[in-house]
Amino acid sequence: MAKISINLLPPEIINKELKKTKFYKIQFVGIAIILTMIFLASLTVALRILQSRNITEVQAKLTQTEQRVSDLKSTQASLFLLKNRLTVIDKYLEVSSQQSSTYKLIEKLIPPSVVVNTITINKSDEAVLLAMVPDAATLDNLVSGFTVKENNEGNNIRVSLESLNRGKDGFYRISFIIKRL
Amino acid sequence: MKKENLIKFYSNHRLYIFPVIVALSSLFLIIFVIYPQTLKLINNQRAIGDLMNKSRFLETKVAALESYDEKDLSRKVGFALATLPADKDFVNALGLLQQLAARSGFSINSISFGSTASKLGDSDSFKVNLEIRGAKSSFRTLINNLESSRRLMRISSIDISSSQTSQALDVALAAEVLYSQLPQSFGGVDSPLPELSQKDEQLIAKLARLEETVSSPSATQSLPRGKSNPFE
Repeated sequence: MAKISINLLPPEIINKELKKTKFYKIQFVGIAIILTMIFLASLTVALRILQSRNITEVQAKLTQTEQRVSDLKSTQASLFLLKNRLTVIDKYLEVSSQQSSTYKLIEKLIPPSVVVNTITINKSDEAVLLAMVPDAATLDNLVSGFTVKENNEGNNIRVSLESLNRGKDGFYRISFIIKRL
Repeated sequence: MKKENLIKFYSNHRLYIFPVIVALSSLFLIIFVIYPQTLKLINNQRAIGDLMNKSRFLETKVAALESYDEKDLSRKVGFALATLPADKDFVNALGLLQQLAARSGFSINSISFGSTASKLGDSDSFKVNLEIRGAKSSFRTLINNLESSRRLMRISSIDISSSQTSQALDVALAAEVLYSQLPQSFGGVDSPLPELSQKDEQLIAKLARLEETVSSPSATQSLPRGKSNPFE
């Protein structure tokens, strides 16, 4: 048989009790929130204090290290100067200038039977040659030596003939300009 | 009377007043304490990280600097400054040119120095005009000696004339002798340290060899001393 339950309390009292319970719940949650906030605030402040101490320590260490670097300033200056000089020296030491490489190339390409009277290599690496050539075949060899890539180490050379004449002695006198492109 | 009213008002509306007070207090704590402190915490943490990195970098730098022997470094700087001095140093250049010409079998007829300085890359240079005479076969050696000498030089123009009968050459040579002013700054405390590579060490060894060649007694003896009899 089912039990029958009857609430005989007046509804005002029930409402009041319900409101009270609800308030206690709200109060509990509210206090918990406030306590959490206070805890979080204290935590951040405490961490900040600890952090400040940490920063001071790191800064002190850094200042000390900076002082040590300053004490070794002369070594650093020497090292900077050395590196600065070595960079430039490496660029030029034992590296032929355009003019000297042109001279070396000319020396290599001129047939032994050719008598060179003058070689002038100017600042813009333009070489003017005045030479005496014994015969036409050598003359041909001389010019092709400069112009054919297989002979002139793959250089692009422009040869401009300035003058060519043949003397009584049978020698060709040639004046020409060589320009490496 | 007033207090009683307030208590009564609170008792009636406490269901709303309490949560509002809690919310306002929490908001106050968040806005004025938690948020700014957390922000500072994050920023400071970042700053600590930066300081630590800087400190580590400087520690490494100190260790690297301490690993260099200052005397040895000064010696190396000496070699480098002899090859690329801070000023024109005409006297040194003159002596060296005389020495190199003599070593290559050439005699000097005249040497003149250009007064104007010009730029060659990042360096400065001054012009030297040489009028020399020597064997045809030795001219290449002279060029090589000049361009691998203890002082940086670049040949800028060559004018050679030779007679049909003689093996001698009359040469007018212009060379640019390099020098470079000292750098304005040698790096601050926190600037990274340049490292000397294997290639740099090899170059220093080469410069040391060149220096030895110049200062060796045999090289000094080869300097032209003038005529044995000035009235000849």
